[in-house]
Amino acid sequence: MTERPTRTAGRTRGEIVALAALVVILVGFPAGVLLYQFVVRPAVADVRTIDLLARVPETGGITPETIKVAAGEPVRLRVSVPDVTHGIAIGPGLALDLGHVDPGQVKEVRVTFERPGRYTVYCNVWCSPNHWRMRSTILVYDPARPDAALPSDAPDPVIESLAARHVDLDAPHEAPAVPARPFASERGARVVDRLGPALPADLARPEWRRRHSPAQAWARLVAAGLARDEAWDAVAHLWVGALDGARLEAVATLFRKNCAACHGESGDGRGPGAAALAAQGIGQHGGAAAPKKPAAFTRAGSMLGGTSELYYAKVRRGGMGTGMPSWGPVLTRDETWMLVDYLWTLQFRPARAPRV
Amino acid sequence: MTRARLWLLLPFGALALVVLLVPLPFAPAPVTRELTVVARQFAFEPPVLRVNRGDRVRLTLEASDVVHGLHVDEYGVDARVEPGIARRVEFVADRAGKFRYRCSVSCGPLHPFMTGELVVSPNLPFVRAVGLTLVVLAATLVSLRRLPPGGAPGTT
Ligand code: HEC
Ligand SMILES: [Cu+2]
Ligand SMILES: [Cu+2]
Repeated sequence: MTERPTRTAGRTRGEIVALAALVVILVGFPAGVLLYQFVVRPAVADVRTIDLLARVPETGGITPETIKVAAGEPVRLRVSVPDVTHGIAIGPGLALDLGHVDPGQVKEVRVTFERPGRYTVYCNVWCSPNHWRMRSTILVYDPARPDAALPSDAPDPVIESLAARHVDLDAPHEAPAVPARPFASERGARVVDRLGPALPADLARPEWRRRHSPAQAWARLVAAGLARDEAWDAVAHLWVGALDGARLEAVATLFRKNCAACHGESGDGRGPGAAALAAQGIGQHGGAAAPKKPAAFTRAGSMLGGTSELYYAKVRRGGMGTGMPSWGPVLTRDETWMLVDYLWTLQFRPARAPRV
Repeated sequence: MTRARLWLLLPFGALALVVLLVPLPFAPAPVTRELTVVARQFAFEPPVLRVNRGDRVRLTLEASDVVHGLHVDEYGVDARVEPGIARRVEFVADRAGKFRYRCSVSCGPLHPFMTGELVVSPNLPFVRAVGLTLVVLAATLVSLRRLPPGGAPGTT
């Protein structure tokens, strides 16, 4: 009667072949990709790859939040970003900055952490009102003793000494006197030259200057007989001496990347991040009368009444609920001192701050 | 062409010269324009930049939330700007017209709609051309009116 193709279990041979092809495509292809991604690639890779996903903190921040790596083990860090541009860097003391990572871009870097310790992956491009919370930790352990506690940083002598003297980092530090005319540190250099050995010995010592405020130094100079304006110029000269040339350029970049969004490029406290903090009500806490805004380093009153070591400690510790991030886990001590010196430059020599 | 008619056209010639050469009050000599553009999700403030042709444009670019870019195709301008770090961009607006500029850094879902406009005006040769056409038109009308009735132009 009718001629029908051979059937096996109700299907023609052709149907079975087609079905097999379909199964190979639908199951085999994804399986192959996954196999390659998670089995073949790690097996043939020369080093371990760690994938970091960087998102604004509202949707997860940098993940994974903690990564364990053996000291001396080379690893490849691969960073991708799904939302907006971030800047990914790792500190302290690694000089590791991948720069901007744009959405859709993948940046990778090979690193070997030589010394056990705690490192911080952080974002250095303002990317959201919570940008400054965007951090994760890399724990580098000693492969010989993987379970040993990580060496914690030796206590910071500057901060210890402030604590021993019961200095309250958060107390207001308004200067009793402020200059009546703009500073001229160049004029100040001539004043200091002229004074020569008559310059009070304390003022010539960098350690003394770190522990005392410009206002205190000014009072000493006025007591030594200097005119009020001249005394300010001399103080300006003494306080900005440390930074110049390449060091100034480097620290200006550090400041722009990490601090300018809140404190403003010129240090006037009016960066776009300041507005974002205010809109979120950050800094308004503990029954404070007014929220603490990012400090204005260009304002003479508060700046001249503070000391370098106070600012150093505040930068490393952070602002305790004010939105001022804690920079201890990110910056080296030396970088912190350079930043403090830069803050003085913004106060004493605003025109000298390098511009982009 | 009669001598009298030539004399008649002389004032129009002078007028044409004036139209071509007079400095127009609304087209001042090129200046340096300092403009600030603030980029935010998902707009530029101000959305329209107006300059005159020949001006040197000195843009200060700021970002208030995330990284943005500013890209003007026709002028080869492309800069990215981070919140907190102002960028300065300089170019000479040597081509007149309306140019669309856009954000060149993917900055969120509405990023493709983040555009602005650069208006380089006025188009001076155009204004003068219009003036010149009017003068020629007037001259033609006047000379035609003076023709003897029925006479063809140019017959002596
Ligand atoms: C997210 C915003 C933000 C960022 C980023 C930020 N700060 Fe602050 N900073 C603040 C706020 C808010 C205060 C005021 C808090 C307070 O006084 O306790 C402050 C206070 C300070 C003070 C204390 C000033 C004073 O008069 O006592 C110093 C110094 C300082 N910041 C330095 C820095 C440096 C250096 C950086 C970059 C490495 C930085 N800040 C980054 C928000 C920020
Ligand atoms: Cu970020
Ligand atoms: Cu944008």
